[in-house]
Amino acid sequence: MKLTLKIWRQQNTKDKGKFESYQVSDVSKDMSFLELFDVLNERLINEGKDPVAFDHDCREGICGACSMYINGRAHGPWDETTTCQLHMRAYNDGDTIVVEPWRAKAFPVIKDLTVDRSAFDRIIQAGGYISVNTGNAVDANAIPIDKFDADNAFAAAACIGCGACVAACKNSSAMLFTSAKVSQLALLPQGHPERKQRAMDMVAQMDKEGFGSCTNTGACEAECPKGISLTNIARLNREFIGAGLTSEG
Amino acid sequence: MKWSQFFNTSIGKKLLVGATGLFLCSFVIVHLAGNFSLLKEDGGEAFNLYAAFMGHNPLIQFIAWGLKVVIVIHLVLALQLTFRNRAARPVKYAVRPGNQTSSWYSRQMAIMGSVLLIFIVIHLAQFWWRMHYGEMNVAMYDGKETGNLYEVVWFAFKESWIVALYVIGMIALSFHLIHGFKSACQTFGLNHKKYNGIINFIGVWLFGVLIPIGFAAIPVVIFIKQI
Repeated sequence: MKLTLKIWRQQNTKDKGKFESYQVSDVSKDMSFLELFDVLNERLINEGKDPVAFDHDCREGICGACSMYINGRAHGPWDETTTCQLHMRAYNDGDTIVVEPWRAKAFPVIKDLTVDRSAFDRIIQAGGYISVNTGNAVDANAIPIDKFDADNAFAAAACIGCGACVAACKNSSAMLFTSAKVSQLALLPQGHPERKQRAMDMVAQMDKEGFGSCTNTGACEAECPKGISLTNIARLNREFIGAGLTSEG
Repeated sequence: MKWSQFFNTSIGKKLLVGATGLFLCSFVIVHLAGNFSLLKEDGGEAFNLYAAFMGHNPLIQFIAWGLKVVIVIHLVLALQLTFRNRAARPVKYAVRPGNQTSSWYSRQMAIMGSVLLIFIVIHLAQFWWRMHYGEMNVAMYDGKETGNLYEVVWFAFKESWIVALYVIGMIALSFHLIHGFKSACQTFGLNHKKYNGIINFIGVWLFGVLIPIGFAAIPVVIFIKQI
């Protein structure tokens, strides 16, 4: 396949940035999207040019590092798929593919397609943890947990923190991410003692980072590579409203 | 968390927008029920008495002032959130997903709301202002005098462009409420397998279809009757 790539190039956070077009030929349908970038970058390096900076780590769809906004879609056109698991069989010979970084005030571009997602880390630091040492893994069923709650907590914990929800949301809202992190702890007994403070602190940090608010369009759920559900956002709303209305502090 | 802090968070503000929105949803039901008396073929008696009751009953007057406050809160907070949301993405995408990941009307709540606001201002200037501060003919029912608002309404809906304006206003209402009702429920945390069906049904069929069609039908019917 022969493809035209229009890639966002930006030297650093302060640079204005612009699109640059690249022709890539001999693209195999079996390549992953990131391998396409590897091929392009090898060529750029051989030509003495600056390779395209992009985030990647595990390339197995579980680390949450890759983050490309491809033809208007976070992680490309396939459902519940990270960019690294997107393969070139999704495209046809002669296609033009526009690749942009996640766009959000809270995710400043570091270079080209890499963005600084440490705002997510600060949301976690604000309350996405359990303060006591929970020790080693205990025997199964030592703490009775409803199967329904356990499954929902597990589904929420599948969030890899890639930021596709923020990228896909028209408001750059981080509600799906924050709600997944609040949910996985709120549903389990170990998370209960700090439940109220956690919801209040994490929402306060989310607002402080400059993410927008949720208008329930559902774009985040549609683009999430891990299928995190909007029910988590409803749960975060319940957690936060309950905490805010009853806290005495 | 103090009240001031709570209502300054994004979720706290959304909660108020949702709550005021649901109050406005209940208002449109009552408003529509009263409006149907316009179609009663009694020379306007039912409608004029209804309008006089709504205009003078102290409890209704109290609620009417509450309604104005609610509209202002809904508007101001929704605008604040909208500006904040726009600021959250200073550099826009070159390619956008269109309707692939979300419905157009869920993304255009501010636009639909603005159309509705313009409609409400015109609508109030046309009838509410006239009734309270303008001049109109007097009608007598059982020895009691009331303003003949019925006549004013029928006269206004002789004009095709006014009828068209009302239909456009109601299309905006429809799409605003199809998303708005469901969205307010989600903001309250109401998202549950057992209830999502009924929430969706009420949002789409009652607030998105029945009520806007009911409202729009009145000027259309009055227009047709007067051709």
